[in-house]
Amino acid sequence: MKDHSVSGLHSRRDALGLGAMSGVGLVLAGSFLGAEASQAAPLKSPMPLLAGPLRSAGAMTFGPGDVLFVGDIMGSAVHAFALRGTDLTPQTGVLLGNFHNFEGATLVQGLDLRLGALLGTTYDNVVINDMVVHQPTQQIFLSVERGRGADVIPAIVKVNRGRLELLKLDGIPHSKVSIPDEPNETARLEFEPQQVYAITDVKYYNDEIFVTGISNHRFASTLYRIPYPFNGQKATTTVEIWHPVHGEFETRAPIVRQLILDVGGEPYLFGVYGCTPLVRFPLAALKDGAHVRGDTIGELGYGSNPVDMLTFNSPFDHKDYLLVTIDVRGGMQIGVAELGTAPPEPTGGAIDFGPGGLGKTQRELPIRTEHMAILNPRWGVAIWRHPKTAYRVDLGTLMSPYFFDRRFGMSEMNWPDGPDPFQYREHRNEVDRV
Amino acid sequence: MVELITSVRSIAMANQPALAVEPDPNGVGWCVNAYDLSPDLVASVGAGLELVLRVMVADAAVADVDDLPDISGEREAMGGTVRFIPDFPFEPGVRYRAILDLGALGEPGVGDVLTHEFSFPKEAPDAEPEVSQVFPSRDVLPENLLRFYVRFSRPMQRGRVEANIAVHGLDGSPAPDVLYRAPVELWDTSMTCLTVLLDPGRLKRGVGPNRMLGPPLKVGERYMLAVGPGMIDANGRPLRERFTKAFTVCEAVRAAIAIEDWRVLPPKADSRDPLELTFPTSLDWAGLWQGIIVVSGGGEQISGRVGIDQDEMRWRFTPDAAWQAGFHSIRISPDLEDACGNTPYGAFDGPFRSAEQISLETTVRSVPFEVKGARGRT
Repeated sequence: MKDHSVSGLHSRRDALGLGAMSGVGLVLAGSFLGAEASQAAPLKSPMPLLAGPLRSAGAMTFGPGDVLFVGDIMGSAVHAFALRGTDLTPQTGVLLGNFHNFEGATLVQGLDLRLGALLGTTYDNVVINDMVVHQPTQQIFLSVERGRGADVIPAIVKVNRGRLELLKLDGIPHSKVSIPDEPNETARLEFEPQQVYAITDVKYYNDEIFVTGISNHRFASTLYRIPYPFNGQKATTTVEIWHPVHGEFETRAPIVRQLILDVGGEPYLFGVYGCTPLVRFPLAALKDGAHVRGDTIGELGYGSNPVDMLTFNSPFDHKDYLLVTIDVRGGMQIGVAELGTAPPEPTGGAIDFGPGGLGKTQRELPIRTEHMAILNPRWGVAIWRHPKTAYRVDLGTLMSPYFFDRRFGMSEMNWPDGPDPFQYREHRNEVDRV
Repeated sequence: MVELITSVRSIAMANQPALAVEPDPNGVGWCVNAYDLSPDLVASVGAGLELVLRVMVADAAVADVDDLPDISGEREAMGGTVRFIPDFPFEPGVRYRAILDLGALGEPGVGDVLTHEFSFPKEAPDAEPEVSQVFPSRDVLPENLLRFYVRFSRPMQRGRVEANIAVHGLDGSPAPDVLYRAPVELWDTSMTCLTVLLDPGRLKRGVGPNRMLGPPLKVGERYMLAVGPGMIDANGRPLRERFTKAFTVCEAVRAAIAIEDWRVLPPKADSRDPLELTFPTSLDWAGLWQGIIVVSGGGEQISGRVGIDQDEMRWRFTPDAAWQAGFHSIRISPDLEDACGNTPYGAFDGPFRSAEQISLETTVRSVPFEVKGARGRT
């Protein structure tokens, strides 16, 4: 971080006369406010609880009617916040970019720096865990944590026309379900290891939420299926999922990321395992106490760590596609129509590029994002690390369906007199806004 | 009680506007107070208070990102006092700057701006953290080992496992891609116990990574689990030294946990001697704490303390109250695993079953034992 001298400050600060101390003194802390301010009643109510019921903030998803679900690993729960109109701000008019020219727009530059400033810490002490878009307003929500220790401070942060705002949870109608279980009443002895279910994904479908995760003590592949609104009882479904391997063996396999889609009129849950296959379950088979073997319909390739799993509708062919972004290399795109019909792979082998397999529409995409979500049919939004600095993380748009941006590559049309085979100059004033 | 480190010190003059950082009387943290302002102006400026009293992280801006927001917080106006309460507590070690802009308050002819820089010192440094234990305890481990547990002496910070924990060949040769890169680091809530999985994709026979790269460990080879000093604790202190655990690899264990081979040593009645279970092979350290319970003849769980030793091959249970003579039983969770993920009902990767045969055993296994009186009779 650079140290700014007074003379090098931004002009706004100069106007404030920063550093020009008057003869007025500063009071040192040490005394309580006490009787000095007892005369007038405060104009505002006492400080609202910001973290509220959250002990941590991880995977998120939106449900029906502006309900935001937040996975909370430290609190062993999934929370539901029924956002009110005052908690949301339509982002109408925000510049998204030039679709024809593959030019996205930076929505927040230096996201980590701004989050640090907002939360009162340094840029490297904030972790962004997930990003979701509230579709009706196109407002972007982030789950973040200040700190990386046992006492993280969680927060939900909204992007509002380039500015960051904390979602004040106090007052928002809230309910939660304990996952995996209600905290044990009997005190746990300090030296005993505590069991934790690390929630990896939360999705909503048809009056239920589906929660996946990894246990720290067991190699369990438990998937929770919980009706929402949460009823007082713990009406969860635990499903053990067995994964066929080479036609010879089967193992348990925790799901890391999931997506629920209607394909051909039937709802399916598509999941990505830690051991790389992409699997499909008919939702109807995921019953309470059932132990279901998913159909392996492809593999993402060794070393993959799926980061986001989402669907988008291509603005060119108007077909639905599944996109899985992977942390070590771009993303994989697969046509949704094929997901339902792809035959299960008995061998769990590589994606079948043959006529029957997924390879027809499967494509690798040149995205390296830390988080990604879909804004609308023409634009996705992503968080990526600036290639040249250690610290900067930006939030910006990427045009669909290629999720490629000219800003990140050399291009002849960047020169005023360069060749322009795709007529970028002709289209340069066509911008999309929310 | 923390002391403040400030950059300016002076004594206030009565009735002059002033800034102070003080404990929040309504809460548990600290707040910033601006005193002796004009009550009328404070009341009339309304939402403009955000510009009158500002608190920010000092010098956080960089060249291309210089319009950073102020710290999120609430402002209260009480007569001639304005209080700023941060939404997040001030963090020790971070330098903050409070700015009182009297010009923004609207005082005619007054353009003074007061600043007050402050920070809270970090806690006095404790001993550096170290790795206190690694499980499994044995230094001969099966080829299909599924996980390690690494216990630290102090709560740690997350985010550094991939860069600092690795398996190497004992001669220093690299052994890449042995450990699983979990999407979420598998810490417990105290952040002192970390679960490190070996790559399930390589462990599962026939899955893609296993076909491409083979199993993570080779029988007969010697390896080292290394935990590097880049692991830092909650106070930012790194490990006192790099920790290593050397081990040799033996044949894989691909069988269900054989409960029938357990040896049960019952205690004597009217004593608080431990009940002892001995296993022919090591079981999973974490699973042993909660995976086995003791139940009286009447079916009630008996409370007591668990102890695990002899390389996780012995489990002992010391009851809180003296044993009563009679039949008891131990109940074994179907989820109990060994270090390779085998359970009482099957091996980690078991033979493929047809769809009709798939089920998950949830039955709790029960093994009876009798507590006898000192003379051998109840």
